[in-house]
This record gives sequence, C-alpha cells and structure tokens, in this order.
Amino acid sequence: MAHPSNPDSSTTTDGLRRDRDGPQPGLTRAATLPAEFHSQRTARSHLAPEDAFNAVRPSRRQSGFESNGINESRPESRSRKMSSKLGSRSRSRRRKRTWKKLLWVKQSYPDNYTDQATFLENLQRNPRLQPYEFWPLVADSTVILQQVCSVIIFVVCFVGIFQERVSPVAVVGWGSFATFVGWLLWDFWVGQEDEDEVLQRRRSNRSRSIREPARRGRSIAAGTSATSSVTNLAVTERYPQGNPIALRQSHSTSAISLQSSVSQASNVGRRSSESTDMPSHRPSSPLRNGRANLRLSTVKSAILIYFTLLGLSPILKSLTRSTSSDSIWAMSFWLLAINIFFYDYSSGPVKFPASLSTNAALMASTVLASRLPSTGQVFSLTLFSIEVFGLFPVFRRYARHQSWKYHVALSILLVIGAGGGVGLIVGEEKDVAWPWRSGLLGVLVAAIIAVVAMGGCSWWLIGLQKYKNAINGPWDQARPIIISRRLWDDE
Amino acid sequence: MPHRTYNIAMVSDFFFPQPGGVESHIYQLASKLIDRGHKVIVITHAYDDRKGVRYLTNGIKVFHVPFAVIYRSATFPTVFSFFPLFRNIIIRERIQIVHGHASLSTLCQEALLHARTMGLRTVFTDHSLFGFADAASILTNKLLKFTLSDVDHVICVSNTCKENTVLRAALDPLMVSVIPNAVVSENFKPLPRPDPNSLPFVQHPLPAHPLGPNDTLTIVVISRLFYNKGTDLLIAAIPRILENHPNTRFIIAGSGPKAIELEQMIEQNVLQDKVELLGPVRHENVRDVMVRGHVYLHPSLTEAFGTVIVEAASCGLYVVCTAVGGIPEVLPSHMTVFAKPEEDDLVAATGRAIAALRANKVRTEKFHDQVKAMYSWTNVAKRTERVYQGISGDVSEAEFYGFDVNHDPHWHATRGRNFSLIDRLKRYYGCGVWAGKLFCLCVIIDYLIFVFCEWYWPRDQIDFARDWPRKKFEGDDDD
Repeated sequence: MAHPSNPDSSTTTDGLRRDRDGPQPGLTRAATLPAEFHSQRTARSHLAPEDAFNAVRPSRRQSGFESNGINESRPESRSRKMSSKLGSRSRSRRRKRTWKKLLWVKQSYPDNYTDQATFLENLQRNPRLQPYEFWPLVADSTVILQQVCSVIIFVVCFVGIFQERVSPVAVVGWGSFATFVGWLLWDFWVGQEDEDEVLQRRRSNRSRSIREPARRGRSIAAGTSATSSVTNLAVTERYPQGNPIALRQSHSTSAISLQSSVSQASNVGRRSSESTDMPSHRPSSPLRNGRANLRLSTVKSAILIYFTLLGLSPILKSLTRSTSSDSIWAMSFWLLAINIFFYDYSSGPVKFPASLSTNAALMASTVLASRLPSTGQVFSLTLFSIEVFGLFPVFRRYARHQSWKYHVALSILLVIGAGGGVGLIVGEEKDVAWPWRSGLLGVLVAAIIAVVAMGGCSWWLIGLQKYKNAINGPWDQARPIIISRRLWDDE
Repeated sequence: MPHRTYNIAMVSDFFFPQPGGVESHIYQLASKLIDRGHKVIVITHAYDDRKGVRYLTNGIKVFHVPFAVIYRSATFPTVFSFFPLFRNIIIRERIQIVHGHASLSTLCQEALLHARTMGLRTVFTDHSLFGFADAASILTNKLLKFTLSDVDHVICVSNTCKENTVLRAALDPLMVSVIPNAVVSENFKPLPRPDPNSLPFVQHPLPAHPLGPNDTLTIVVISRLFYNKGTDLLIAAIPRILENHPNTRFIIAGSGPKAIELEQMIEQNVLQDKVELLGPVRHENVRDVMVRGHVYLHPSLTEAFGTVIVEAASCGLYVVCTAVGGIPEVLPSHMTVFAKPEEDDLVAATGRAIAALRANKVRTEKFHDQVKAMYSWTNVAKRTERVYQGISGDVSEAEFYGFDVNHDPHWHATRGRNFSLIDRLKRYYGCGVWAGKLFCLCVIIDYLIFVFCEWYWPRDQIDFARDWPRKKFEGDDDD
C-alpha cells in the first residue's frame, strides 16, 4: 500500500482503509463508497485494494506494464532487455495479447503484472448488510429487558427473604399462583394453535388430493425427507406422541425415496411439509388424549419437583456454611451475569431456552438459598428460582409468539415489578407511613432507565454500523448447499 | 548479462518427512533452482527421527532446527530465540536470499524478520487462502502483515491467492508475483494406450476414449475427508450420481473425520459394490489410483491452487470440480467441468462429464502432453529466479516493477525496502494503532539481539561451510 507509515484505526480490515485520511462516512443501504476515493485514485499510479470496490472504474489506467503507458517513453533497449528476460517471444507478439486471469496460459506479461480491469473484481464489501432501523431495534431489545428485570425481581425476592421483610411463603405462593395461571394460558394457546394447524392441514389435504391423487405417497416421502420446516419441528417438540393426521397417511420413508427428481422433491416438499410430520413410526393417540396426557404428566413432574426440593432443602441449607458470604455474593453475581449474557434471546421458532444460562441461574439460586437460615426459606427460594428461570422464559417466548400486545404488557409489568421491588428494598424499613413512596420512586426510575437504555443502546448500535466492513471474495470458503442433508441426520 | 547465481535459504515449518503440498513444492523448487546453478539450503524444524543436517537428492542441504512443535507441525512462536542459530546458519552458508513458505509457519515468519535485520533480501510464498471473518484469520492476518511489511517480494500460487494476500497484508500488488505450482508430469502418466498398428482391425480415427457403451465408468476422488474439502457435498452427491448413471463406480481415497459419514452413506444406500473406499494413499501411489478412473471429482470448498486436479488431468482424467478459490484459473475448459458448490450442480456437472465421456467427445489421451506443457517445475524455478534477480537489483527496479521509480513520491516508503532501521520502523509502524507500536518494539529488540550476536559471536570467527559442487547452468532452453 502506498503509505505504510499511516497509522490506521481499524483492526480487522485495515488493508482497505489505509490510504484514507478523513473519517469514513456511514454506510448506506447500498454500501456506496465515499467520493474521496476518486480524487485519490488519480494521484496514485498503482492499484490499491480500494480500487476494487470503487464504483466508477477508470478502464485501463496507466501503469508500467501497460503497452501504451510510460514504457513507450523509455529507451527501446530497456524494454528489449525485459522481453529477452521473459522468454523467446518477440516483442511485437507480446504486446498484442491481453492478460488473462488464468494460470495455464503462457502469459506475455511478467508475473507481478496486475491487471487493472480484473484485479479484485470479485471483491464484495458488506454483501449482506442489513441496516438496522431504530424502532424495530428498540422493540427487539425488550427481550433483554425482560430477562434483566426477571433477574432483578429474583434478587429482590432473595433480599426480601434474607432480611426477613417478606414471608417466604408469600413469595412462593404468589410465584406458584402466577406460574399456574401462566401454565393455563400456555395450555390454552397451544390448544388453539393445534386446532388451527389441524384445520389448515385438512384444507391442504383436500386440495392436494384433488390435485394429484396418484403421486401422493411418493411425494410425501420425498417431502418429508428432503425438506424440514420450522413448524414441523415445533409441533413434534410439543407432541412427542405424534399427531393423527400425519399418522393416518404414514408412509414408509426410506433413503430410496430420493429417487424422485430434485425439482419434484422441492416442489412437492413445500406443499407437503405443511401436512406431514417427521417420519413417525410412533404409537398413535388422538389429539384430545394427547393433551390430557400431557397435562397429567406436567402435574406429575410438578409434584415430583416439589417433593424433591422439599427433601433437598435441609441439605442445601448447610451446603455452603463453610464459605464466607462475600464469596457467595460474588459468585452469584457472576452466575447471574452469565445467565443474562448467555440467555437465548433469538426470536426464531418457539423452543426451550439455552441450558448454560438456565443452569447458571439455578446454581446462583442454590448458592444464594444456602445462605438462608431456615429450611422453609431455602425451599421457597429454590422453587421460586425454578419458576423464574426455568418456566417463566418459556412462557415469555410463547407470549411474544402469540401476540405483540402480551409481550409489551409483560415487559411493562416486569419493569414496574423490578423497579418497585428495588425501591422497596432500598427504601428505609422504618418508613412505615409511606411504604409505597420509595416503591413508586423506584418504578419511575426504572422506567426512565429502561427507556434511556433501550433507546440509547439502539442508537449506539446503529451508530456503530458505519464501522462494519466485511470483505468477501472468491477466497472465502464456499458454503455448500446440500438438499438431502436431512436424510442422514434424521435417522 | 552473465547468469548470476544466488545462495538461497528456504525456510518453512513444513518439509519432508511430512507429506504435503508445501513440502513437495519446496523440494521441487529447490531441486530445480540447484539445476540452474544456485545453492539452496532448507531450514525446517526437527522431526522425530531427523535432527541436525541432512542432504537430499541433488545436494539440497536440510537443517532440522530443534524446536518444539505445537500445532499441526507448526513450531511454538518464540520470535527471538531462533535468531542466534539462524544467524549462524546464514553466515556459515553465505546466504543472500531468504525464501519463506506458508503463512501458518512461525519459523518462516521469524526467519523473514531476522533476515531483514541482518540485511538480507527476503521472498515469501503464500500457499493458502484465508478469510477475514473469524478470529483465527484475524490473528494470522495481523501476523502476516507484520512479516510482510518489510518483505521484498511475495509469490502467490494463483491470482485469487494474490488478491487475498494483497488484501490481508496490505501490500502493493506489484510486489506480488503469481507463480503457480507445478506437477512432475513424469510421475503422473496415463496408462499406456494400445498401439493403433497392433489392433486387429483398423479404426479411423482411433476413438478418443476407449469407453464402450456398456463399459463401467469410474469416478475417482482423492482428498482428505475434511469439511473444507467438500466431503459433505460428496456424500450428498454420490447416491444421486449413481442413481442417475447406473453403470458408474466410485473410488475414494483418503482419510479424515468425515470418513465415518461416508461409510454411513454407503451402508444406508447399499452401495458397497459401487463405491470403493481405499483409505489413505501415499503420494507416490496416487497415480496408480488415478489411472483406474475416467473422471476425477474434486468437491473442495476452498483451494488456493489445487495441485491434485492438475495431477488428475495429467493422468488423463476428465476433471469435475467446484469453481472455488483459484481452481477456475488452473485448467483449460476442455479438461474440466465446473460446478457450483451445490449438491444439485455437482450432480449435474458430473452428469455432463459422464455424458461427454460416453459420447467420446473428450480427447483425454492428449491431456498428459498438454499439462506437461503448461506446468513444469523448471518453469517455476525460472520465474522464481527472476524474482530473485529483481529483488537483488540484478534486474533494475524500473524493469522489474515496470515502473518509473523517480516519478513516484511514495516509492521509498513502499518498494524501496532499504535496510536502514528507521525506514523499517516506519513500515512496521503503519501496521496498526497498537500493533504498529508492538511490531516496532519487536523489531528494535531483534536489532539489539543482532548487535549483541555480532559482538558476542563475531562474524569473522564463524567458518564458512563447504558448498556442494555447483551445477553448471547451460542457459535457458525456452519452453
């Protein structure tokens, strides 16, 4: 590059940015380039990587190797010497050929020749850049807000129990009540969704049977194996028993079903993916039965967890007696931080949250619970933590999936809860006359902090976008596109 | 002009007895440079049973320097500890040019730094492609930029590789030459064809490919079974190719972590009689595997040059390959069918290749001589020699760079490459806000070590080693 003495500021892609003196303007959607390159180009006489993404490419600028450039003004003897160095071809032949980007051709140019027209022509800069917009970004950040708020609420509850300002039974009672209500709602939503799906399936089944009754079996087999749809996955996760419609037309899937040609597979796959589940050889059970079974098993596992915790509480109580409280505070802080940072904030299909984050939170609650003096408190806090960190995220995901309104309402409730809780905890205990005053203040402060943080961080992230500079080119490892991949993975 | 010869040290972590592309590149290049009258030594690290100095065929002297190997036969980066030993070797062998190979070799990077401190000319050959996205690449690129800030010339094996290196190390493109790899075509000969006169009946013209309509067509794949070699594509494509073309067989050689998936695929589709897995094959047996087939399938996802497809074409195989990296530059279109790195396209391209062979449209028997004319190590050595001449000033700068030196104000900052410490520091300082200062520090320490070495082990007390008798170079037989 031309000025290696210039210090540059970027870390990853400084190769591209060295000749630049002024600040780089922000990238637009089209990722166009600043105009300052054009003025610089004329000053330099050799090619720099900037030239690759310069929109206006002056064709064939002068360089030493160009036939009509500086060379002609040189003494003839020098260029003859050069040509004798390179091979036996006469100079007249040499100059006529054009350079090709091929290795097997005997080029009539020196090895370090850089073709102005083709050099770095395949370079792409920020090829998949999607500029963020402010409001969608703020809306997406509510997920993080919710998680942070629920962690704060948990901590507030712990402090309340620890300082014996809140009865542990009240905490766990309200928590369990909320969880139960949430579960009922969730169950209702799931039921609704399934009914919708069943209806949709019937409709698509009817239309397809009209359209092509003959190729049905084969197409379904191909569709199942060759494609996978997100909804399918979601359904099977919820219904391990399989669903009746898919089973009614249970065709055997085998690897040989790939026989159907590619176009057919992809074409039909799209249609049949709505109507078929994963290749299921599972025992069938009607829809209603499945729901009832599911409820029963949920209740069973809830009771199991309840009694296990009850039995474990005395052990947990004395678990970290030999450890000093300072270490416990530090440790639980880091564990909760891990919970927040590794939480699965993705808005993709409804699935269960990441395990590292949940485990960290449960461990934090365990070590915190071990600070508490009585078995009842330990039990309450642990149960509460399972509700907050294990079940509540699932509910939040469903709520967001279900309706945007629920999501916003839940966020506001959480902010109020967290802010109020912190206010109450921080507020003076003696202040019996106005116990809610500090709480209200807390809510106000929390609301302000939430709005400022969400807006500020979003704005900041948008501002940082101008530093994004991803370079792609033919040297990148290709991403293979494999259609029949699921065939091997599924079985 | 009299033919000037140089004393060259090739430095890389990767050298025999370990097999591989870089290793054979160094060996072949060194061997051909010796044929041209130069003196070449190779400096590499010690392998299990190889320490000290060895001589290879053609009088290549190999120094196996004792250094600990950390990862895939790259040595631990100590930056300075190699310097005293390196200086000793350089003075002993009266080296003028240090030529480093492979960007992942720390030994090579250190040697280039020390060589510049000692005032030697340096060349670097890049054999691989790197992205810009992941953390490992960013680190490697930074290190490469450190080394290449002060290198005299860089050689890349393909034009794509050149673009990549120019971007990674922020080099002047004129400082980078493209000199491809080559093959030893004598080692990759097709099976001898029957003499037309000895055939019982006269056939005019002789069929291009002895492949009858009912004969089995064999597809050969020789590659390490890694993700970046495209084994997933291969696994997905094989059942479909075999289904579309029943009279086809596969021979797959190589080993790696994806071998199990390949075997699973074979068992799942019951293809045991159609796909033959050979396991790892030694490089000298590659030709014997290749000549058993008609089509060579190369599904790699990234490749700087792809020597193996040249070898396959030299064996008279029709090549089907993915158009990634430098591969599209390597072979002419009548020898290859290109595919996108997609399952569908790979299947379709293989189908086209099989159809063309069955229709006897491809003159594969001519491939060997054509490849022989395209790629030879003698040619590579000749072109590398020109690089040496350019950097040591035997070819004038204006001629070598094709550039009028005096008209460019930036000349001394970019290509002057003079040895004065302050100019070197300027070049290193431009590597980055923090990295630049760190690099400068490294260079200064390196220089101090050099001064210490000169005082503690004075130059005049180091003996010169006796040279292997040099070959007399007759002159260019123009190819």
